[in-house]
Amino acid sequence: MSDIQNLQTFDPFADATKGDDRLPAGTEEYIHIRVQQRNGRKTLTTVQGISANYDKKKLVKAFKKKFACNGTVVEHSEHGEVIQLQGDQRKNIRQFLIDVELAKEEQLKVHGF
Amino acid sequence: MSGDEMIFDPNMTKKKKKKKKPFMLDEEGGDGVPGEEAKEVEAKEVEPEGGDDKEVDFDEDEGRKKEPSDDLDDLNFLNQKKKKKKPKKVFDNEVEEGIKELKIESEEPEPIEEDDLDLMLPVKKKKSKKVDFEEGLETLEKDDVLDDDEGKNNDGISFSSSTGPAWAGTERDYSYDELLNRVFNIMREKNPDMVAGEKRKFVMKPPQVVRVGTKKTSFVNFTDICKLLHRQPKHLLAFLLAELGTSGSIDGNNQLVIKGRFQQKQIENVLRRYIKEYVTCHTCRSPDTILQKDTRLYFLQCETCHSRCSVASIKTGFQAVTGKRAQLRAKAN
Repeated sequence: MSDIQNLQTFDPFADATKGDDRLPAGTEEYIHIRVQQRNGRKTLTTVQGISANYDKKKLVKAFKKKFACNGTVVEHSEHGEVIQLQGDQRKNIRQFLIDVELAKEEQLKVHGF
Repeated sequence: MSGDEMIFDPNMTKKKKKKKKPFMLDEEGGDGVPGEEAKEVEAKEVEPEGGDDKEVDFDEDEGRKKEPSDDLDDLNFLNQKKKKKKPKKVFDNEVEEGIKELKIESEEPEPIEEDDLDLMLPVKKKKSKKVDFEEGLETLEKDDVLDDDEGKNNDGISFSSSTGPAWAGTERDYSYDELLNRVFNIMREKNPDMVAGEKRKFVMKPPQVVRVGTKKTSFVNFTDICKLLHRQPKHLLAFLLAELGTSGSIDGNNQLVIKGRFQQKQIENVLRRYIKEYVTCHTCRSPDTILQKDTRLYFLQCETCHSRCSVASIKTGFQAVTGKRAQLRAKAN
């Protein structure tokens, strides 16, 4: 008798709330990972849009150690704090952010060639 | 992708079998039943859709293998060597997979298949399990006969199945799978291209990218590609420059000159992304779309399915200082 579908409780908002808890607190926007060419074969990677809840300096420190590159935090009037790293670290950063669950895969936008 | 899978699902297992079979034949040096093969070939000749479908299936497999890699893979650039190689590779993989599957799934049927009973046995096994639930053991024998018929039908995927449903003329109940198959066959028969019969391939000219000096790159057929995509050069230009994070302009010969070194492959990548976002319809993926600007937002209007959706605006985002700071300062003063 338990097969009667009408009697089952159905929460119509189950789906609606599902999406919410996927995003870590405070990051409602995309995180953009860009790459810029410098002179010669050198490149520069910028990470924009990490929420204010995270300490960028500590992140940079971790990036620097992990990817063996230099990097800084740049303050920008419009885009907030932006992380700059030397070299093309797009893949590394993407993987890192996913691994530490700072961002979901859908949230990351990798730009550039 | 999930939607596609839903659509393809009903025939999935049977298709696989079909694919496996030629391989089997190859390996065993034509040890299988030649009559069966001939039948298959005939069926294919009669219905070109059968062939198409196989291809689709194939595509889908490819998609599943490297799943999150965007749907961009169906944007074919013509003379891209990688792309050309890929299908072959995938096929190899598939064949290999086929071997594995054969070994894993049907270890018993393999030896049996050699003595003329091929293909029917696994089907029977699967079916019989289902039947057990519904009808019990008595009808099993009857079912076996029916299944044989079905097996033959499925070999060539006869869409115009004039023979009628498999359950016709017997007092057996039709199973859900059979009904599903039937309805999909009818759908495909009535409008072959509509019902996700094929994955649309979007074939593009490859971008011609030439180095100008050491620090600049020229995109020679930029305007051609704009025309091909039915987009304003201005729009594509804005996107390219924003994505590449550089500056550039269109010169006198309608070439796009970009600052920085870029290879054709890299430009292709960016173009692919552009096509995915701004050219193909997000609903039906047809490239037959119009980009309109409406109250500061861009909308993509599909000419095939008439859906309309907004697309992301092009933003450059943060740009780091890469030039000489001294120059910047000099400019500011």
